[in-house]
Amino acid sequence: MGEGKKGILPSVVKMLKEAVNRGAGRGAADPSAPAAASKKPGFFWGICISMAVIYGAVKWLIPFASRRITGMPFALPVPGTLMLFYMALAAAAMALYVTFSDERFSDFTRPVKAFFDGSYGTLPRGAALVIIPLLVGWLVYDHWSPNVLAPLSLRIQHPSSNFPKKMEDLKNPFANPEDANVNAFIEEAKSGHVEFVSQVGPDVAKWKEANPESHALGFIPSEQMVKFLSGLKSGNVSKEIAKAALMEKNLFEGRALYAMNCRPCHGDSVSGDGPMADGFKLRPINFTDNGTIETIVEGYTFWRISTGGVGLPIEATPWDSAMPAWNQSLTEDERWKIMFAEYDMAQKTPRMPEKH
Amino acid sequence: MKEIVKALTTILLFTALASAAAASDLPSKAKPSATPEMLEKGKAVYFKRCSFCHGLLGDGDGPAAYQLMPRPRDFTLGLYKFRTTQSGELPTDEDLFRTISRGIPGTAMQTFGGESGKNGLTEEQRWQVIYYIKTFFKGFTEPDSDPYKQVVKTAPKIQSSSESIEKGRKIFGEMKCWECHGESGTGNGPNAPKLKDKFRKDPILPFDLTKGWRYKAGNAADDIYMRFNTGLNGTPMPSFADSLKDEERWHLANYVVSLQKKEVLSASVLKAKFVSGDLPFTVDAPLWNSTEGIDVSLAGQVIANPRWENPSVELVGIKAVYNPTEIAFLMEWSDRFEDTLHKQELEYNVPPAYKGYLSWEDIPRKPGNFRDSIALQFPVTVSGGAKKPSFFRGDSSNPVNLWVWNADLAAQGKPGVEEAVARGFNQPLKAEAPEERQVLSKSAWKDGRWRVVMKRPLSTKDKNDIQFEKGQFIPFALNAWDGSNGEHGLIMSLSSWHYVFLETGTPAWVYIYAFMGIALTGFGEYWFILRKRKK
Repeated sequence: MGEGKKGILPSVVKMLKEAVNRGAGRGAADPSAPAAASKKPGFFWGICISMAVIYGAVKWLIPFASRRITGMPFALPVPGTLMLFYMALAAAAMALYVTFSDERFSDFTRPVKAFFDGSYGTLPRGAALVIIPLLVGWLVYDHWSPNVLAPLSLRIQHPSSNFPKKMEDLKNPFANPEDANVNAFIEEAKSGHVEFVSQVGPDVAKWKEANPESHALGFIPSEQMVKFLSGLKSGNVSKEIAKAALMEKNLFEGRALYAMNCRPCHGDSVSGDGPMADGFKLRPINFTDNGTIETIVEGYTFWRISTGGVGLPIEATPWDSAMPAWNQSLTEDERWKIMFAEYDMAQKTPRMPEKH
Repeated sequence: MKEIVKALTTILLFTALASAAAASDLPSKAKPSATPEMLEKGKAVYFKRCSFCHGLLGDGDGPAAYQLMPRPRDFTLGLYKFRTTQSGELPTDEDLFRTISRGIPGTAMQTFGGESGKNGLTEEQRWQVIYYIKTFFKGFTEPDSDPYKQVVKTAPKIQSSSESIEKGRKIFGEMKCWECHGESGTGNGPNAPKLKDKFRKDPILPFDLTKGWRYKAGNAADDIYMRFNTGLNGTPMPSFADSLKDEERWHLANYVVSLQKKEVLSASVLKAKFVSGDLPFTVDAPLWNSTEGIDVSLAGQVIANPRWENPSVELVGIKAVYNPTEIAFLMEWSDRFEDTLHKQELEYNVPPAYKGYLSWEDIPRKPGNFRDSIALQFPVTVSGGAKKPSFFRGDSSNPVNLWVWNADLAAQGKPGVEEAVARGFNQPLKAEAPEERQVLSKSAWKDGRWRVVMKRPLSTKDKNDIQFEKGQFIPFALNAWDGSNGEHGLIMSLSSWHYVFLETGTPAWVYIYAFMGIALTGFGEYWFILRKRKK
């Protein structure tokens, strides 16, 4: 065996040298090679290298390019079946090319035949004759031996089989308040007593105590709110400004409710990376991802928040979902406010419902 | 092979994540000056991203603060833990930048570094919000307390070596670090239960130094050395700038790094190894050391009231072996204190109208009130397909079988494991009668770690029990409770479904196929050469 090892290496080197020499058109170095070898001896290797280049392009270049194209922080790998497809097509094309003429075919098979004739040395030939059957045996064993990979569970992310149709056209009342609500808000603001969801009450009250001369909404530093409050002072309030200010107030409440209820899993950057996220195999949804809340209508998002994991149909593997059914713990208004804030933080807009 | 690759990728991923966290915490450009416009913008950022925990007034008491442990920082006190300045001094702007960018692992303070395609804060926004946060404490404007004049002097790093680690170990003993952090660094020294912070006089636990992924301000020797230089303001952790020489602080830092567990072997399949003889029925049987296990991540129970965001048990190592009649599991997890008492009358009764997350202040979290526990959960019936009961205690039509080990029962010398059936989280566990129980257990707590072995026959006659069959993917999940963290009932940590797979030997026909493959190829070659020779 030790002797064999010593023998193989020089033979392989010799073989490679010859292949290179022939490829460069300098003729066969080995007198025992067939005379025709001087014609196109690098053809076989050319085909092999082409296949390797194609494989490399599919395996690494496409994922690399995908990362550049999508701008996402991860590459999109080529699925195994697609890989097989590409390689089968490439192999078929090569086969067509090789068998186009008898001359080409014999060019292609010459190095193979020469190899088995022992033109490249009997030792490499012997080694190949032993290795090939062993390789086949190993592949068969690897394919059939019991394999302990977790069973795949396919999952439909946005199932619709039990989505109540009547919810499809629902609109978030807090993202686009009606006139009556805007008018009520103006009256409320004029009176100086503004109602907030109870959860933010204590913090807002503390702020008011520390800033007694400010308006009850004065802690909201957004441009729209500042405009609205100064308009209120000068007695000149436009409906649009008031509506924008009301939306700011709704967003404030929504963000607070999100921080209290959703943040532990979905994270304070709405990226699905909250402190609890790592504990769940079905990871919390990343709302900044293009394939999530942007691709569905508001009514659907509202339905998902309300009925949670237990409300999912079987095709969406409800048993793996950690999403609570929020209709048990949050009022409808609270859920809509959270949704408004969630879309806003993720800088996404919901899909428009289709016209009927 | 695949498992090794998977393990290696996990380790690589972990180190990559750790280094990524360290890479984005330094500003890429010089910091902008604190103009009034910057302050105004900082106020807007603070309102939108920080105020819900830290409060509109910066007092650390926003709407979400009550449910968090540790509580969000009160900026009006001017007490900052993670600095490069001397003990008791204010932090530099860069110190604040680092904390905001890195986040604080193990707390609700997440990373706000904007570099990972995530929705963080840009560098400029981070500077803006830092300038705004400083307005909450007057001291930042007093020239006498300028933090830049108080930056600690550092000495050249001493690289880690077995010699340096050994010196560090001695210092750990001499400086009585163990009084709080415990002999083995697991944060359970004799003083640990008594410690309080200076912010709100809240109980504060010394850090478990073995949890490499949870270091609040970085787990590298450089970070730890810096903590020894500065101390952690507002906590019982002092500065060692005066009491230790520079090189001693480096040795100590190297020792602390050597205590960290860094690799997490997360995988979804636990392979139960086959042994022909008796199963190991002690926690330290040598067979366990040669058995490969997995690490299961757990999260707080945040699905149903009372929601719990402050779980103590976040990682459980689990191993399994089986023989022709029985199966045994070994579970190991970090738990600072051995809690072997349980006072049922102190258990938290969820008010019917209760909607939110639970405040840790609402439960009597004193050591001695509640027991440590762990539960292994299986579906009662394993379906061939993907369908499973809900990982959170099953559901009305798909019950789960739980093996609940309780530290108090084990300590009293009673059978430690109660078997139960659950059909959904909203119903109490239905315990099986003691005479029906077949799960036996052994347990030991040492150096801040629990180890529990559970053993049961592969098959039983009880229709509410899981039946183990070879070559099947059997779902399992974990529930865990740390008594001194106030956990009991649904105040717990839980994991998603994983699988346990009872390894089968390779069937004989696989070898026959492989041999046939070899023979056929060999014959093909023989024929090919023979034909060529004849030509």
